[in-house]
This record gives sequence, C-alpha cells and structure tokens, in this order.
Amino acid sequence: MSETPTHIEFGEYSRRVPPNIPAAVQQATARFLEHRQARVDEMPQWEDLRQAASDLRLHTLLHLDTYLEKLESRVSAAGGVVHWARDAAEACEIVLEIARAHKVRRAVKVKSMATEEIGLNQALAAAGIQALETDLGEFIIQLAGTGPSHIVAPAVHLTKEEIAALFSEKLGVQAPADPVQLTEIAHAALREKFLEADMGISGGNFLVAETGTLVIVTNEGNGRMCTTLPDLHVAVVGIDKVIPDWESLAVLLKLLARSATGVKISTYTSFISGPRAVEGEGGPREFHLVLLDNGRSRLLQDPLGRETLKCIRCGCCLNVCPVYKNVGGFAYGWFISGPVGAIFSPQILGVEAARQLPFASTLCGACADVCPVKIPIPEILLHLRQRVVEGDEFGGPAVARVVQVGAKTAALAFGTPWLYRLGARLLPWLSAPAQRQGWLAALPPPANRWTKVRPFPAFAARFRQWWKGRHPRKQP
Amino acid sequence: MSHPVLDEVRRYLGRGQSAPLAARPAVPPARQANSTSEEIELLLREIQALSGSAAHMAAGDLDAALVRLVQEQEIKKACLWSTPRLADLGVERRLQDLGVQIIPGQADKRSLAQCDLGVTEVDFALPETGTLGLLASAKKPRAVSLLPRVHLAIVHPAALRADLQQVFIEAKDQHYLVFISGPSRTADIELTVTLGVHGPKALVVWVMDD
Repeated sequence: MSETPTHIEFGEYSRRVPPNIPAAVQQATARFLEHRQARVDEMPQWEDLRQAASDLRLHTLLHLDTYLEKLESRVSAAGGVVHWARDAAEACEIVLEIARAHKVRRAVKVKSMATEEIGLNQALAAAGIQALETDLGEFIIQLAGTGPSHIVAPAVHLTKEEIAALFSEKLGVQAPADPVQLTEIAHAALREKFLEADMGISGGNFLVAETGTLVIVTNEGNGRMCTTLPDLHVAVVGIDKVIPDWESLAVLLKLLARSATGVKISTYTSFISGPRAVEGEGGPREFHLVLLDNGRSRLLQDPLGRETLKCIRCGCCLNVCPVYKNVGGFAYGWFISGPVGAIFSPQILGVEAARQLPFASTLCGACADVCPVKIPIPEILLHLRQRVVEGDEFGGPAVARVVQVGAKTAALAFGTPWLYRLGARLLPWLSAPAQRQGWLAALPPPANRWTKVRPFPAFAARFRQWWKGRHPRKQP
Repeated sequence: MSHPVLDEVRRYLGRGQSAPLAARPAVPPARQANSTSEEIELLLREIQALSGSAAHMAAGDLDAALVRLVQEQEIKKACLWSTPRLADLGVERRLQDLGVQIIPGQADKRSLAQCDLGVTEVDFALPETGTLGLLASAKKPRAVSLLPRVHLAIVHPAALRADLQQVFIEAKDQHYLVFISGPSRTADIELTVTLGVHGPKALVVWVMDD
C-alpha cells in the first residue's frame, strides 16, 4: 500500500468503495465535529488563534531556508544527526542505511504520514527488516493489508467482528468481538514488540527551529514507546513541518487536537531535542532526523499553491467535506485524502497523475471555514482546475480536447460582453423546443454527462435585464 | 553552503541566498491564572474528565491514600523518581511497609515493564487541559511514567502554570519534555474509548500541599 501512485482515478476508486465505509466514516466525523464545536465555543480567542497560526505558518514558509538551517544546527548541537532527502527513494535509502549500520532487524513505528508517503514499510520489508505499526488503528490495517480510510481514525471502516476475525487469523488467538478485549489483545502483542525492537521510527507533528525539537502527538502512548525504548530513533519529517519557536508551537498545539478530534489536548505530547543526555534517564542513544522534500519545495514558487504547506494534518477538512464523507479515504488514491489531499496530491504528483482530484469537491467552502491554519482550499481547487485544463510543469493539459475547447469557449464568452449578450439571447430560443416546465431533460454530448444524472435548469432569464430591473443604480 | 534541498527551497522562493528574516507574526496573549485553589479545582476536574483519578490532599493523608491505591490496583512492584520531594514524603518507605517491592527507576526496560506502579513528581501542571509536564534526567527516568500499569503523579501547587506559553519559556532548553493528559487512550475500534492500550491504564494525580 501507498507506493507513490502514477495515476489516481478518483471516479473509478469512489465507485468501488463499499457502502459500509462512508457509513463508518460519517459516524466518526460527526463525533469529531460535535466535539470540535464544543471546544471552539468555549474559546473566545479561537479566531485570533487561527489567524495567528495562519500568519506563523506562512511566515515560516517564506523563510523556510533560514528556519531549516537553524533547525539543522540546533539538532546537531543537541547531539542528533540531520539527513536531507530530496525524494522518497532518497529518504528510504537513508533510513535503510542507518538500519544496516546498526544491524536492525525489528523496527516499531509511530503512525506517520511522511513514512506512508515514501512507502518506507515496503522498503524496509524488502531489506528484510520488519516494520511494525503500533498505533492500534494502523496495526489493524497493517494486519489487514489495506490503507487508512481516515487520516486520524485509520481503521474506522472495520467493524469489531471483522477485527476479531483478523486477530484470530493473524495473531493466532481466540479474539472476541469486543473493543475492550481486542484492545487488550493488541496491547499484549505489541508490548513485547516495543521491548525487543532495535529501532523506533516516527514522523513528527512539528519541528521547532529555535531548539531543534521534534514534537510528536499521540493518544495511545505508542509514540512514547517507540521514541523511548529502542536505542535508535529515526524521525522522517517533511520540511514543511518546521516552525520558528516555542511561542509558535503553543499556538499550533492549542489548535491541533481541538480541530482534529475535538479534545483540548491529545493524551501525550513528546518534545524531543536530540538523544538521551545521560545513561540513567532512558531514551535512545542515537537520534536521526530525515528532512523530506519530495516535491514540497516546488510548491513554494506558487503564492496560492504554497498555502497548502501550512497544513498541520488535523483532518478537520475531511470531517466537514460532503464529498469525503460519501467516499472515505481510499478514493483519493494516496496517503492523504479529503480536501487537503485533493490539493496536495495534484501539486506533488502533477495534475496529469491526479487530474480528477481538483474536481472531487462541491466548492462548498466548509473546509476553509474550519481549517485551523486558514488554507484557502476552495481557491486552490479552482486554481488547480485551471492547471488541469492548461497543463503544469509535469505535462500538458490533462483533460479531453473537448473540455479544453469548452473551457476556452466559456472563458471567451464570459469575458466578451457582446458575445455574452448574444448567447443570453440565443440560448433560451435555441433550447426552447427541449424545455419542459423550466427544465432541460437532455443535452447533446458532452453536456449529457450532466443530464444523465439530473435535469439542467432551462435558460430562463437574461441576467443583465434581471439585474437592471432588480437593482436600479443608486444615485451617489 | 551548497545544499540540494536548501538550494531547491531558495530557488523556488526566487532567491539565491537567505532573505533577511522578517519579524515573526505576533501570537495571542496567554491565559491568565485564577487563584491557586481555583486552578487546583480546575486541574482535578479536567483530569477526571479525561478518565484520570485526581485528588487534593494534605501530606498527612498520604498513608491512607497509598493503602487504598495499593489495595485497589493490586500493586506488587513499583518504581519511583528520586526527587527530593518524593523522598521527603517518604513514598518509597511507605510502599515498602505495605509489602510493595521497589524496582530502581534506572532499571532496564524489561524490569520497569514488570512494575504495577510508577511514581513521579510533575515539573509542570496545566489546569486548563488537565496536563502534567514531566522532564527527564538520571533521577527522573522517562519510562517510569510510561511502562507501569498505573502512574501516580504527585503535584506540588508550585508546579501550576496558567498557559502552555509559561511552561515552554521554562522548558524549551531542556532536552526532553513530555505532556501527559489522562491515561493512555484509544478509540480506534468502532470509536469505543478504551484505556491503557499502550501506556498506563490508570493515571492517579494527587495534589499535595506543603
């Protein structure tokens, strides 16, 4: 799962989604949103925090080179080792190199989107190193051999009966269909794995440049296990996760958990600056940080597209999205789904590879309303739709000729007043024979893709005339 | 210094070298503390809301509370931090008197994993979110609050801070800090909240006056 995809067929994938997935996803997202709203209501400064978070993230991106250099020097000063990876292959190779040097056989992992993105588990497995996911949801989907259906609740699509059958089969235990007992079985199975692992692998929620600190947020404690018990800790983190200082961190931490699952704070937050300082305290002897670019730097050139990198991966835009809630995570074809996936993947992979994702939205704007760092997702979606039609640096236009011509014609008509007026006069007349009670039941191809699903409103009024009649120009 | 990733970042930001750093945007003001007793009340309430157990007690109540804890949680083995205040309270000796075997906090991870109880004294407490902040050192091993089944955290009122910002000002130069808000928790199976999936199943917090 989660090799870098060369093509994402959102339409096809979403048709293949079994109906139980949207049902389970809607149950989870409804709960997260209800709790989030309670948190927002009790914080009068919520909007100030969002604005500050947005400003801080954008500021950091505009000075990303400076903050990354500072981060590197501070991590090194704290006794950690910094590695730079231009792409997924380089990042995997760096981790493998570290693992080989330490003769690692067993690794335990904290849920991490960056390692999903680079396909690290597959790379480790190919090198004979077992990489075990330890977040309960991730552990379950790793056993099942599938991907996550929600970035915060990855196994939400599986029922307790399915998980019980999976545990019985894969762990060789008698597993009852009871969440508490299933959790206990996973606890027992994983406790030994934590103790025997040679390497802990994590992602990171934030990197504080000021002190070279890696911040990891979890609820289960597996994050602490993986970064405390093995002698070696390797973190793979996107370059977009750097923030200036601890004051910025306080703002972002106040927003993250409240936006994600609607709790005030996650159960555990670890702040790690380098390896252990003294023998007796425990913790890893060695700390490595792999800074991953993988196409992120390219997003910086586009003033609108770069806002995508403000994302703190709370998943709130998924929770409110009417499209996501009806298809779940798999339809988005990569490690990141929902509205943020629909803007991230096409920019990283190119619009040719992910050409349907910018259209996987109703542009209702709910995502932008809740985003804790105020990413203008609908505007970026429109921006990317334009790129789909016109092409980007990866390749030419990614739509059929007829759509390109249609888009150009529409742009010309809407941009040329006389042509627009002509169309407004002609269309009602031309379509009159097909009109039934204000609706058009069928249109010729390619517009029949719309009328196959629902009727099209007839061209009824002339907007300009209507506007003049309703809004007589006021005298100044 | 030439560097592939940094060079790419600079190229796409449209410049050859680092630009002068603009002032970092301001952050909203931090939360202000209420009276100490109100802050303690809030801390206890928030920890209880997170399925933790929390109480405010005088040093004289410690014995009775430990007896109850050892009985209710069937504590056989325990490990502790070696802080002056825990020593003053005589927690280790009292546990031994109750027949609990003490494992040194610096013992290997497998021994610590055998413990039923880990005792710490928090460095910071944040009432607003029911959060405990713990640093690490040879006398404050990280795994004591992680591997045992039950985590008992002693909170001195002097550890109370109103906002994350205050904690961060004091802790940012430490090499390790962990925030703990309630016992280990998951809702990954059918959204059913279950405690103790990896970390401690029970968090017991006692705020102890001087």
